[in-house]
Amino acid sequence: MSGIDRPAAGDRGIAAAGVHVPRPRLPTAAQREVWDAVRAPGIESVAIPAADEDALTMAVAAAERALGAWDGDRADVASATLATTTPPSAEVGLGGRLALALALDDGVATAVLSTDLLAGASALDRALDASGPALVAVADAPVGDPGADGQRLGAGAAAFVVADDAAAPLVERAWKTESNPGVRHRPSGGDLTGLGVNRYERGAVGTGVGRAFDRLDVAADDLAGAALHQPHAGAPYRLARAIGLEPDVVARGLVADRLGDAGAAGVPLGLCAALAAAGPGDLTLAGFAGSEGGGAAFVLAGGLAVAGLDALDGGVEVAYPTALRLRGDLGDGSVSGGGAYVSLPSWQRSLPYRYRLVAGRCPSCGGLAFPPEGACPSCAERVAFEPAELSREGTVVAVTVIGEGGAPPEFADYQRRAGPFATGLVECGAPGGGTVRLPAMFTDVDPGAVEIGDPVRAVFRRLFVQEDVARYGTKFVPA
Amino acid sequence: MPDAYVVAAGQSPFGSFPTETYLSLFETAFERALDSLDGPLDPDRIGAAYLGNLGVGGRQIGLSGPAVTEYVGLPGLPTTRVENACGAGGYAFHEAVQAVRGGGVDVALAGGYEVMTDTGSDQTRWWLGVSGETAWERMAGTTFAGVYAQMAGAHMAAYGTTVEDLSRVAVKNHANGAENPNAHLGFTCTLEDAMDAPMVADPLNLYHCCPTTDGASAVLVANEAVVAELGAVPVRVAGTGVASGRVGLFQRSSLTSIPATKRAAERAYADAGVGPDDLDFAEVHDCFAIAELLAYEDLGFCEPGEAGSLLREGRTDPDGDLPVNTSGGLKSKGHPIGATGTGQVVEVFHQLRGEGHVQVDDPRYGLTHNVGGSGGGVAVHVFEREGAA
Repeated sequence: MSGIDRPAAGDRGIAAAGVHVPRPRLPTAAQREVWDAVRAPGIESVAIPAADEDALTMAVAAAERALGAWDGDRADVASATLATTTPPSAEVGLGGRLALALALDDGVATAVLSTDLLAGASALDRALDASGPALVAVADAPVGDPGADGQRLGAGAAAFVVADDAAAPLVERAWKTESNPGVRHRPSGGDLTGLGVNRYERGAVGTGVGRAFDRLDVAADDLAGAALHQPHAGAPYRLARAIGLEPDVVARGLVADRLGDAGAAGVPLGLCAALAAAGPGDLTLAGFAGSEGGGAAFVLAGGLAVAGLDALDGGVEVAYPTALRLRGDLGDGSVSGGGAYVSLPSWQRSLPYRYRLVAGRCPSCGGLAFPPEGACPSCAERVAFEPAELSREGTVVAVTVIGEGGAPPEFADYQRRAGPFATGLVECGAPGGGTVRLPAMFTDVDPGAVEIGDPVRAVFRRLFVQEDVARYGTKFVPA
Repeated sequence: MPDAYVVAAGQSPFGSFPTETYLSLFETAFERALDSLDGPLDPDRIGAAYLGNLGVGGRQIGLSGPAVTEYVGLPGLPTTRVENACGAGGYAFHEAVQAVRGGGVDVALAGGYEVMTDTGSDQTRWWLGVSGETAWERMAGTTFAGVYAQMAGAHMAAYGTTVEDLSRVAVKNHANGAENPNAHLGFTCTLEDAMDAPMVADPLNLYHCCPTTDGASAVLVANEAVVAELGAVPVRVAGTGVASGRVGLFQRSSLTSIPATKRAAERAYADAGVGPDDLDFAEVHDCFAIAELLAYEDLGFCEPGEAGSLLREGRTDPDGDLPVNTSGGLKSKGHPIGATGTGQVVEVFHQLRGEGHVQVDDPRYGLTHNVGGSGGGVAVHVFEREGAA
């Protein structure tokens, strides 16, 4: 052990973590049946976002798990940062919806960090410097030419609650800037590209991660695990050789073999895997690289359980055409037209009901109303309902499967991507007793497999896009 | 309170007529209604018009009622467009009955019109969902087929109703509609056809769903004095009942019953002083096959859960003890939204006068049942052929 200061009780670091990995997986073997060359070294499969997932929904899913694993109160979270290179729109506010979806206090300081693969490192860095519990959610779903870089691109999200007296406290950290334009680049609305100049790109990345690591007091031999920059599964081993890490140390933090290049979320996901495998005395390195080269290195002590990691090895295999369809590579199914329009201002009014399943308790008769507006359904009194947040676990009471072409036009593009989907009614309990029925779509499930009586769990998903604005709400997955 | 009678009734052909307009279709229905009069009637005697229309396609949503009555040569007539989705026509008829019963007018025109097939499939998709609960139910990816499919699934789970039961609704109604020259889908189908059709919303397949239809219907409601002047066969409106319900299925207490149908039926039966056992036939709202089965139970034709066996036993066939949808129903005759409710009255009018295409044996009491959406508004009417045994 070199001369480093071991963290002490009360030190700040990662108090809880959670991950989300989309369910659909495209095996690289399936891509090889289509393309002569598949540039996805060491990648067995890539994760494909479901047709209703994007950076915000994946971030919410991971953060919900992290907050659920944390022993603190989510109302005390002082800051929340979403890091992604693939926000749902080029300019879009997301912090407010992130906070609302996670039931954070509306005084939480939010930030969205984007455009650089280092976004996750930046978010973690700021959370470590902040005071009070800080939430970091890193979610990404990079897009690229299906015949080139797109072959190795995956998706996923990791979230951390950074707080004092953490289970995995920070030991030290360091940064190294580089200025190598074009290492990793995506024009607005376009595909992710590199220059194809391997020596230039590897040099920029290797120097960034390596120099950042060199600035630490921790030595390679001190590390039990390392999550290194992983645009594919070969890259972290190359970086490890330069630093002097053994392959088994790198393997702890490798997820690209199963998820592909998860963009800014790749190293955070790897860090979660490595922390979950770490013993109390272990040190774990997170080695990030940036889109113009450069890097950041964080060393954390100890380990912690990470909710959602099982999904790394789970999921369902999809065929290549299905993957193209899910990603929207086979065109846009949007339908123009008229009736039954729900305006964005009226949609906004309903967000707490849609995101957090806020129902109403009648102060007069105790009956429940969802949405909590209008006269009480039980006693017909016009009352001011007391907010009652429903359980996010429920039971299917009615279900059908909507086949191709049968969806309302708002969902035409979703159905084009996802195919037939199940929808129905879910009964959820309210605090203090009673139940409410919610109309809801089912997702991450074979639509024909949903049956009356099934237990289900609420998730935050994108419902549809209208006027170029994504509308989010609650769907249900098998519990 | 003066009694109200139906003295004339007519419909345009129901079908796909993309080059017709709502005006031209209504003109046909109105002319046919006038042709059905038993004697001469001065159009000036018509004192009010109530016309059902949803406005699918978004053409003349505003003021289409006055446009229609002016078009057919009823200048200046007080005209009200009634919008209660698929139940608009039934409500329009209710208003006409109330106007005559109230004594303010001698004759009231009730009718409806809808053009649905002159728009592209994208436009149609937008418009078909406007009468569901749009803020929540639709945002769960559900259309009407999906909502009725959920009720079907719940009914199957609760009572053991089968896909075969659903399919038998189609077989029966197509057999009836094949005899109706005004039917949209006037062909017969086999049980196999109706079992093996492409799935729309599980468990409902294509044969469990009615078509989208163009059409219009018109009836004249008059007081006893006019009946006497015309020497008309007295088709009396014995009772009328309408009722609202929650628009969204998720907002209702039952998934296997439509509460508004029960309420409307209670009111209509009470108004008529008769009950379901007195009925000789009925036209019920079979927009989806499950809707006809729910109607049997909610209208009191049988106990909850027994609709499937009522149908299987042939009791709602034309030669059964309570024939249902001798016109072909929405399934075969077609479902031009705003025109459906008064279209049902056209069938009852002819049945009670012995003029049915599929005539039931010497009927005295007939009923119509018209549902808006999946049950947000329901109109039930009971008719009596006065003087019948």
